[in-house]
Amino acid sequence: MLTAIERIAFILLVIFSMGLSYVTFTRMFKIISRGTQPLNWRLVLKNWPKGLAVFISQKTLFKTRPVIGAVHAGVAWGFSLYLLVNVIDIMYGMIPGFKFLPNNFFGDVYRFFVDSFSIVVLLGVLFFLARRFILMDKRLITNEPVMLSETAKKGIKRDSLIVGLFIILHVGFRFVGASFEVALHGSDWSQPGATMLASFWSSLPYETLVFGEHFSWWMALGLILLFTPYFPYSKHAHLFMAPINYMAETKRRSMTTLEIMDLEDDNIEQFGASKLEHLPQKELLDGYACIMCNRCQDICPAYQTGKELSPASLEINKRYYYNENMKEFSSGAESLDTLSKWMLSEEAAWSCTTCGFCLEACPVGNEPMVDILRMRQDLVLMESKFPREAMEVFDKIENYGNPWGMSSQDREKWTEGMDIPVMREKGSAEYLYWAGCSGAYDDRGKDISRSVAKIMKKADVDFAILGNEETCTGDSARRIGNEYLFQMQADQNIQNFEKYNVKKIVTQCPHCLTTLKNDYAEIGTDLEVVHHSEFISDLIKDGKIEPEASLEEDVTFHDACYVGRHHGEYDAPRDVLQSVLSEKATIKEMPRNKQDSFCCGAGGGNMWYEIKQGKRINVERFEEAIETGVKKVATSCNFCMIMMEDGRKVTGQDENMEVYDIAELVAERI
Amino acid sequence: MKIAVLVKQVPGSESPLNIDSSEKGLDESQVTYITNESDNYAIEEALQICDKGEEGEVVIISMGPERVQKAIREALAKGAHRAIHINTNSSASSDPLVTASALASIMKDEKFDLIFSGLQSDDLGFGQTGVVLGEMLEMSTATLAMSTEVVDGKIRVKRELESGYFQWVTMTLPASISVQSGCNTPRYPSLKGIMGAKKKEITEVQFDEIDTFQSVKRLYSPSNSKETVMIEGSTEDIVEKLVDVLKNQIKIA
Repeated sequence: MLTAIERIAFILLVIFSMGLSYVTFTRMFKIISRGTQPLNWRLVLKNWPKGLAVFISQKTLFKTRPVIGAVHAGVAWGFSLYLLVNVIDIMYGMIPGFKFLPNNFFGDVYRFFVDSFSIVVLLGVLFFLARRFILMDKRLITNEPVMLSETAKKGIKRDSLIVGLFIILHVGFRFVGASFEVALHGSDWSQPGATMLASFWSSLPYETLVFGEHFSWWMALGLILLFTPYFPYSKHAHLFMAPINYMAETKRRSMTTLEIMDLEDDNIEQFGASKLEHLPQKELLDGYACIMCNRCQDICPAYQTGKELSPASLEINKRYYYNENMKEFSSGAESLDTLSKWMLSEEAAWSCTTCGFCLEACPVGNEPMVDILRMRQDLVLMESKFPREAMEVFDKIENYGNPWGMSSQDREKWTEGMDIPVMREKGSAEYLYWAGCSGAYDDRGKDISRSVAKIMKKADVDFAILGNEETCTGDSARRIGNEYLFQMQADQNIQNFEKYNVKKIVTQCPHCLTTLKNDYAEIGTDLEVVHHSEFISDLIKDGKIEPEASLEEDVTFHDACYVGRHHGEYDAPRDVLQSVLSEKATIKEMPRNKQDSFCCGAGGGNMWYEIKQGKRINVERFEEAIETGVKKVATSCNFCMIMMEDGRKVTGQDENMEVYDIAELVAERI
Repeated sequence: MKIAVLVKQVPGSESPLNIDSSEKGLDESQVTYITNESDNYAIEEALQICDKGEEGEVVIISMGPERVQKAIREALAKGAHRAIHINTNSSASSDPLVTASALASIMKDEKFDLIFSGLQSDDLGFGQTGVVLGEMLEMSTATLAMSTEVVDGKIRVKRELESGYFQWVTMTLPASISVQSGCNTPRYPSLKGIMGAKKKEITEVQFDEIDTFQSVKRLYSPSNSKETVMIEGSTEDIVEKLVDVLKNQIKIA
């Protein structure tokens, strides 16, 4: 179709575009390569089926915003088709007399699809632009006091506009070009849209129509060539960086279980991440995969209660830092400021409850929470800058083996009057029952421990406790970033496990569960650890206990993050709860439940220090429980219990409502 | 600026404090030993002087059996440069005069510009060692410091007085000062500090002869008995009997 001169010009433009793209794409991958824990690109590429599956299915889009996800899928699928269309269009322009399967059924089907998809994509993008610039969807805005860099604030809008206009111009001119072609060669039933548009041009002279077709071709395809080198600067890079991000996924035993640090290695200069180049390559890749949709911000308990943290802003700041410092940083220069100056403030880092929802919600496989954990490691291990109360907790764990700072000799006091077997007397048992610090020292926690022990005794389980030999697993220490203290605690416990040949553990503390099961396995100690909800549920199923179904009131259930999102267990606690409900009563779910559950506010060490900004997370959650109208709230985590009990008092419901652990409800009925 | 900090290791308040069979000390197997609380502030005060650009050396000095090395390592991890451990090889407690004499004999050649100590120990609570030591080494002394500032070779000390009053004194160096808890924010050791502390020098000095002027006769838990006596009669009778009880039985002067 093109003239000889045009064809030469196009080839020159391709060469120019490829050359420039080479420079910018190389910089992008050089930036990623500045990270630690080098990616094995061969393995990443081997993982291509995973990336392809995510791309084709678009399944990660539907987790939190299904409607918008569907519109996105339309745009994404339409855009993929356009890649093929572009190739055919180039052939049409460059090969004289070329037509794609003319007068052929498949050719007609192809043209029909291009025609209708063009309209779908155009409408889709117009909707997205309207959502951002006219409807001003507040989910696309980040509130104060979150730190969002000035470049990011300006960049987000500019970038969205550029990408939106690019798609509209590219697809729009492809569509207009097709209409000129129809006007030149007569109507085409397989392109109803283009044929309709062509009716506007029918009165134009032949030369104008030819010019129109050529002009549209150049606009549609020339734009791609101009846009390609810009990709690494644009969030549009997500269309290949997101699938790559899934292909490069780091396998973790749980979302919060980071690799074990070798603290004795004198060659390691930096523990945790203080600067950008201290983050692993995969996490630098995250910044390129981010499409700035704010899904993680929508569901972040810290953000939702007005704190300084937005996981989205963390990734967005990261991305604009790349753009601003692309040349210097990609060529190996040390980054200027620490992460807390521009990526995420210290206050924000401490506000994270490690609930893991941001990882669950992210449609491109980003892990902002993991960055936060690495920043905390730096702040604790390298800088000694962390909340004062956390320091007291470290001292208490170190000196007394529990964050409450109570005597280690009082640990087994909760068993008084119960005749619970202790390992030092019994020698060994099939199950170690791990009450944990909260189960041993907190008053409500002790109630739960007594209930679990009562159930196990009733079911004739061969179990024992470590009693005073038990010491903190180190969960809070590790999540706050104190790897040193965590390893000290783990060493002590692992020695005891070896001494008593412990293989299986039951615990009601989901934080101990995660740590014993995953973090200890990372050290090299594999244990079979189950949550009491799973254990009790199995006892009921096996007929070992038969709780009376005598609870006559409706109950709501609060999912613990470390049982749900981190451990994947949503049914067991509900099954246990169901077993005590009479026919009159049901479990009335809160709006945010199971995978979408809202944190109690105590995870990630937040149990031990207070973030004063905004609303208290546990109050927000308890209000949700109040709104269900039930009088009883059930939990399956000691920290959640403490938080819900506090929420009950703060909201003035102490007379009205009650909070129970599922084990208490069962123990009362056997 | 050469600064010494006196650090004592004491039983943690939450650890079980059972009296041993001799009735003169604690059953140590059950005790969690920690750094005396106000000593943490003394360490911090010394480190801050060095942080402020004063060229200097912070030397930790601790007296007690082998176990006190844990407290010493903690202080070294926070940033102190070296330590002297006066190994007594036993947990037997001495009195402040003996302790100060032992410290003085070992410290006199070191020519310290400043000695910081905690206000008092959480176990025996004499609150004298730092001052007695200062006097023995012919230093200026001050107690109950709420803040300190080194200016032109002198030290300004804000001292806590009673009922919310305080006093500023300026003293010549060398000086021995005991600091009050809460006068600063003690740091938490960094990992580098902890690892580095393992390589720092601890000079061990044997000190076996604890010749005390004071000694523990018997250690026992206070009994908390209470007795209620009802005084009856007319108002005058009651007053008369009450005065008698206060004067002769409870012995209020």
